[in-house]
Amino acid sequence: MTAFLVFTAAAIGTYLIRLSGVSLLGGDRELPPPVARALGLVGPAAMAAIVANALLLDGGEWRGFGAWHLAAIVATGIALWKRSMGVTIAAGAAAFAALLLAGV
Amino acid sequence: MTSRPRAFLRIGPQQWSDTWAGIRAVAPLMPGAVLFGLAFGALIRVAGINAWVGNYASVTVVAGASQIAIVEQLRAGAPAAIAVLTALVINARMALYSAALAPVFAAFPRRWRLGLAHLMTDQSAVVTLQHAERWPDPVRRRWFIWGASGPFVAVWAMGTAAGIALGPVIPDSWQIGFIVPLMFLAVLVPGLRDSPALVAVAVSVGVVVLGRELPYGLNVLGGALAGIAAGAMVPRRAVPDDAAGGRSPGDPDAGPEVAS
Repeated sequence: MTAFLVFTAAAIGTYLIRLSGVSLLGGDRELPPPVARALGLVGPAAMAAIVANALLLDGGEWRGFGAWHLAAIVATGIALWKRSMGVTIAAGAAAFAALLLAGV
Repeated sequence: MTSRPRAFLRIGPQQWSDTWAGIRAVAPLMPGAVLFGLAFGALIRVAGINAWVGNYASVTVVAGASQIAIVEQLRAGAPAAIAVLTALVINARMALYSAALAPVFAAFPRRWRLGLAHLMTDQSAVVTLQHAERWPDPVRRRWFIWGASGPFVAVWAMGTAAGIALGPVIPDSWQIGFIVPLMFLAVLVPGLRDSPALVAVAVSVGVVVLGRELPYGLNVLGGALAGIAAGAMVPRRAVPDDAAGGRSPGDPDAGPEVAS
């Protein structure tokens, strides 16, 4: 029962967060150029934050150098070369699997 | 010629094809969403939480990292209010996507805005932002966004259901947690071109690692905000069309060059 109530409260709160910008900044008015420019950086900045937190850190500590870093380097290189999301994921997953099998 | 185009489920062929374009744009991320759903489902099972509650969480909260944090807080015996607060802080980054999507959603009818907002995930929000300028027609654009978000949430929910049914079937030694940085690298890197975005990325990474001791994943939120602020101060060089990678706004059928 506690879990149900906690998930319900989190769901309502998260929905309001998801709706916040869409309702507050929506409508016909043009956004000022500096605001529009900042909003254009939301994607890269948020993606980079998630990657850094998941890749370089592990529960608040530095992640020990190993297969995660090496496979991420391979994926980044392939991404810059091919500029394709699908190819990047396939290459990164293959590199990671190979490194694990090799015992890295 | 007055013959109407054939409609399936009362949805026209154009809408189906725009939905399909959205699905294709996000499709490479779907296996990752399934794996993440499996992991969350297995955790529900291990934590002894009711199966229905676990499935309910994935279709109502629709944010895996926060759902995992809730389960961990509950297992650790934290007060319910703290568990909710933790989840909301982790999900606060969604407000940034929501703000960035405001101009994209502006021309949509209210029920579409309300519905698409619920389906907003990191992946579909950023894929939508990368593609939006190629969909100038708001009707076609909303069907594209529906395709890029609805089925993605559906596979996440199916992954959860499978994880709850099967339990922890994926060995720990596979370290499937790597799917998280890999998915977001794949969304981030192919679209990286101009210097404001590069500065935003560098500052964001720096703040995240410097703030690694912060609780509740606040370093992620702080990193994103700092990256946006820093990148916005960098002047954008005028890039000729060729150098911009042949982007062709207004022609959605040109194919997704960022995220094919």
